[in-house]
Amino acid sequence: MAEDLVLDTAIRDWVLIPLSVVMVLIGVLRYFVSKLMRTSQLPDAKIVKEGQVVIRARNLRAAANFIPVKSFRARKVYFSNEDIQLENCDPQAITVDIENGLLYVPKGQAQNPQAQMFSDPNMAMDMMKKNLSMIIPQTLTFAWVNFFFSGFVAAKIPFPLTQRFRSMLQNGIDLSTVDVSYVSSRSWYFLNLFGLRGLFSLILGEENATDDTQRMMQMSGFGFDPSKSLSAEKDSLDIVQHEWALPKFEQRAESVLRKFIS
Amino acid sequence: MKLVVCFCNFAQKMVGAAEEVQLIRLENQVDNGGGGAWEYLCLVRKLKVRRSEKVLKYGFEILNDPNKRSKLGGEEWTLYEQVAIAAMDCQCLDVAKECIKALQKKFPESKRVGRLEGMLLEAKGSWADAEKTYSNFLEDDPLDQVIHKRRVAMAKAQGNISGAIEWLNKYLEIFMADHDAWRELAEIYISLQMYKQAAFCYEELILCQPTAPLYHLAYAEVSAITHSYLHLSFQ
Repeated sequence: MAEDLVLDTAIRDWVLIPLSVVMVLIGVLRYFVSKLMRTSQLPDAKIVKEGQVVIRARNLRAAANFIPVKSFRARKVYFSNEDIQLENCDPQAITVDIENGLLYVPKGQAQNPQAQMFSDPNMAMDMMKKNLSMIIPQTLTFAWVNFFFSGFVAAKIPFPLTQRFRSMLQNGIDLSTVDVSYVSSRSWYFLNLFGLRGLFSLILGEENATDDTQRMMQMSGFGFDPSKSLSAEKDSLDIVQHEWALPKFEQRAESVLRKFIS
Repeated sequence: MKLVVCFCNFAQKMVGAAEEVQLIRLENQVDNGGGGAWEYLCLVRKLKVRRSEKVLKYGFEILNDPNKRSKLGGEEWTLYEQVAIAAMDCQCLDVAKECIKALQKKFPESKRVGRLEGMLLEAKGSWADAEKTYSNFLEDDPLDQVIHKRRVAMAKAQGNISGAIEWLNKYLEIFMADHDAWRELAEIYISLQMYKQAAFCYEELILCQPTAPLYHLAYAEVSAITHSYLHLSFQ
């Protein structure tokens, strides 16, 4: 039960390493294919503007204490006022009465993005292409691993595991008395699937299509993102307490200098 | 006197101290006949500093020498672009035209090359044609930041400062996180003595980069001029 199985080094040479190499190669291939297939999407003006607004609001929150109170309040109102007619205190534009701040999203509009996502043929095609390029290689590789590398113990995990993991990790191995730490090659495949992300960002640079898990998370919140992030920004902006740093700055400078000298 | 063209990267990027030292070192090295012209050109391109005469001289040297040119491989075209821009800055329009022609042959339908053509028209002084070219580009892609900025630069070069302000404001309404544009707007306002608006722009700059001392100093100066600090409450 607790004895150590000695695993043939041939397993290492002919299973573990080839599997990793194949996965790296497939990842690189997928990256180039996705680069070729990627249609240059014309970014939507509204989405770009929203992105920029979010950045600006975030900057305002972060450095609020460096500008005087009046300017902070003016900007806060510019971003977050609701249904109030106010003169635009922003001298960069011609003075206009704005009704809603930039971050305010009226309830009606929030529902639209998702419907839009499915009805817009371009976006749907794009998502399908991305999905395909993700799913097909994964499925093929998985089938290949199952076909060729099943039925034997491939590796030993260095830490002990409970019996619950047996069905997951020891799929091809039909002996129930083998320690759960001894896993089949399927688990090595999954390990590689998630682990090679770091390697890919090294070789392929930041933008690589192999970031599956991240994209899976992003897909669920695709159209929703703008309005949600806008209202999130608005809420955090409402919370900010402003205190102009200038009056206290001399004391700060003095204490820093004193520390320096002493 | 021919008009000088303002550039897309109009605000000079603040170069870090270490990079400045390296730049000067490479400059001296190349000036005194040691090799390294290509590294110098790459560094200039990376830091977006404006050393047009040197770029023109050394870039042109490399481009005219077929051996060195073939050694560059794919980078050759980036060098063409860099030399074309430098040539326009130094008013050597025929050099610029040659470079652009070479680029056009290689990349016939490219927006980047089209942009260079627009810049050449600007340098020649045919503002209307350049304006038409840029408007065409903006029709295809209304979100092209560089073309917007070129339009602003053109208005400024023509002396139409209020037009430049208008264009720049419109640009900033969409791309409000672009701090180079805010900086340019602040400088324009100061040149027009519209200090209140300039103060606003400097506040924006402080918000994006609170650790840059330059913006705090400029803001302080503008506040001193307008005596706005006297009316500020310290609550």
